[in-house]
Amino acid sequence: MTTPLVLVATVLAVAVALLGALSTLLRRRIGQAHLVGAAALELVLVVQAVVAGVALAGGHRPVETTTFLAYLGTVVLLPVGGVLWARSEPTRWAGTVLGVAAVAVAVMLWRLLQLWQVTRG
Amino acid sequence: MADPDAGARPADDRALGRPAVESSSTDGGTARGPGRVLVAIYGVFAVAAGARAAVQLALQFDEAPLAYLLSALAAVVYLVATVGLACGGRGGRRTATVACAVELVGVLTVGTLSLADPAAFPDSTVWSGYGSGYGFIPLVLPVLGLLWLRHQADVAAEVAAEQAGTAQKSPPPPESPPPKSPPSAE
Repeated sequence: MTTPLVLVATVLAVAVALLGALSTLLRRRIGQAHLVGAAALELVLVVQAVVAGVALAGGHRPVETTTFLAYLGTVVLLPVGGVLWARSEPTRWAGTVLGVAAVAVAVMLWRLLQLWQVTRG
Repeated sequence: MADPDAGARPADDRALGRPAVESSSTDGGTARGPGRVLVAIYGVFAVAAGARAAVQLALQFDEAPLAYLLSALAAVVYLVATVGLACGGRGGRRTATVACAVELVGVLTVGTLSLADPAAFPDSTVWSGYGSGYGFIPLVLPVLGLLWLRHQADVAAEVAAEQAGTAQKSPPPPESPPPKSPPSAE
C-alpha cells in the first residue's frame, strides 16, 4: 500500500464512475471506454495487492490485519463484479451500476490506506 | 425493442456503449434498471457492514457490545434487503419492504440515540449520527428502496390486471402465476 498507487487508483475509479454517469445521462449502455477504464483500475488494484502482500510477508503488520485483508480482497473483486453485472443490464442504468462499484473502490482504498499506516510499534 | 442501428455509428457506439433499451414499465422486476443500482448499493453495504461486524464481534466484542450487535443487525438487514430486491417477485418485494422499513426505523432510532446519549455508543455503528460516517447513504437508501418497491408493486398490479383481461387469448405467464380471479390488491 503506497499513497501514489492509491492516488492513481482513485483517479481511475473516479474516471470510471464519471464515464458510467455519462452513459446513463446519454441513455446508453456501457461500452469499450468503460471496459478499458475498469481494466486499468483492476490492474492497479492487483499491483497494489501484490505490493501489500509482499510487505505483509516481509513483516509489516497493520493493527487490524484481518479487516485489512478482508477489504483488500473485496476491493480487488469489486471492479470485476461491477463490469459483469453492468454488462448484463440492457437499460441506461448499466453505467450507474458500474459507477457504484467504482465509488466503493475509491472509498475503500482510502480506508485501506488508513488501516495500513496504523501499525503496532 | 431490439437495437435498430447496430453499426450505424460504430466508433461512437463502441466507446460509450450501444443505445440503451428503454426501461419500459412492463418488463418489471425489482433488479432491473434503476433497481439494479439499488441492489448494487445494498450489496456493497451488506458486504462492508457484514465484514466489519464480523471482525468486531470476533475480536473486540467486550469493548462496545451494543454498538457491535447493532452493526451486525444492520449487516443482516442489508443482506436481507439485497436478496429481496435481487430476487423480486411478490415474496422478494415483501421481504425487501420489511427490511427497508426495519432499516429506516433503525437508522432513525440509532441516529437519535447516538446524538442524545453519545456515551452509550463508544464505538460508532453504520447508523450512528443518521449514517453521517457513510455520507448519510444509510438514511437515504431505505427511502429510495421503499419508493422503488411501491413503484414495482404498482407495475406488478397493472401487469396482473392486463393479464386478467387478455388471459383467454395469449397465455404467457411472466412473473406471478396468472390469477383466476382479479388480484385482491386493486
